[in-house]
Amino acid sequence: MKMLKTLTTWAAASMALILTQTLPGFAQQTAKLGDDEIASVAVVANKNDIGFARIAEKKSKNADILQFAKTMASDHQSVIDQAVALVTKLKVTPKDNAVSKKMTADAKKTEKMLNSKSGAAFNKAYIDNEVVYHKAVISAVETVLIPQTRNAELKSLLQAVVPTLKAHLEHAEMLQSKFTK
Amino acid sequence: MIPIRKFWGNSLILAFPLFILSSCSTSPEKITPEKYVPKTLRVEISQMKFQPATITVHQGDTVEWINKDMVVHDVTQVPNSTWTSSSLAPGKSWKMVVAESDDYYCSIHVVMVGKLIVQKP
Ligand SMILES: [Cu+2]
Repeated sequence: MKMLKTLTTWAAASMALILTQTLPGFAQQTAKLGDDEIASVAVVANKNDIGFARIAEKKSKNADILQFAKTMASDHQSVIDQAVALVTKLKVTPKDNAVSKKMTADAKKTEKMLNSKSGAAFNKAYIDNEVVYHKAVISAVETVLIPQTRNAELKSLLQAVVPTLKAHLEHAEMLQSKFTK
Repeated sequence: MIPIRKFWGNSLILAFPLFILSSCSTSPEKITPEKYVPKTLRVEISQMKFQPATITVHQGDTVEWINKDMVVHDVTQVPNSTWTSSSLAPGKSWKMVVAESDDYYCSIHVVMVGKLIVQKP
């Protein structure tokens, strides 16, 4: 529980930073995540990015941002659909855990931050967060989720998602450089 | 449309380099000096890449793209979107007879790019 307290004091930091910095730590210092917990973390990570995309679709008028957000919503939903289909087949029920709960809580804060901005400031905040968020998720998937997953099919699904996340990151970075000029 | 005579004429000129190339091709029997039989070549869309990203074809060949990823992709000419597959759901494929060299990308994931090169005689 001490670990959880430490995590809570980081509440002000972005969810993404929490993920990259504490997920590996969490893994080292506590019992490993079960496949049911990993499934939950994977679903939540995708849901969060769909949440950010929905805000962008409402708030942005920039064509590049709108196109990117549409892609995020669509791709992350495809990943969720695949993950749900697989865990259903495997009879694994995604199980809430400290990591997934923390991620949900942090996403709510990010959503609040995004909702407080508009115009060019919104576009920049959204794409900056997408860069940080995808970096964090890629790191978590590669260094924590994949190594800890026991079921081979779940592991290979997570492995298959990595190129998608990396393409999203590259796309986000491309847009970020446009908005920072 | 290319007049048949001209097409055949081009094929004859193509025949010599083709013959050399055919030594490392999987279907050399399809290439004869008399007539070029158009082929169908496949590009796999997997792991967020067009594979191969650059493909060299002969005018009249067909290229078929198949989406082996879990997300939707498309195949769209750049820079003017003069042709597009429209959305290709996972498992779906789309083909096109290639008329000329072109660059293309996935308009959904703009970092995914590919190239069609039409080999000229
Ligand atoms: Cu694509």
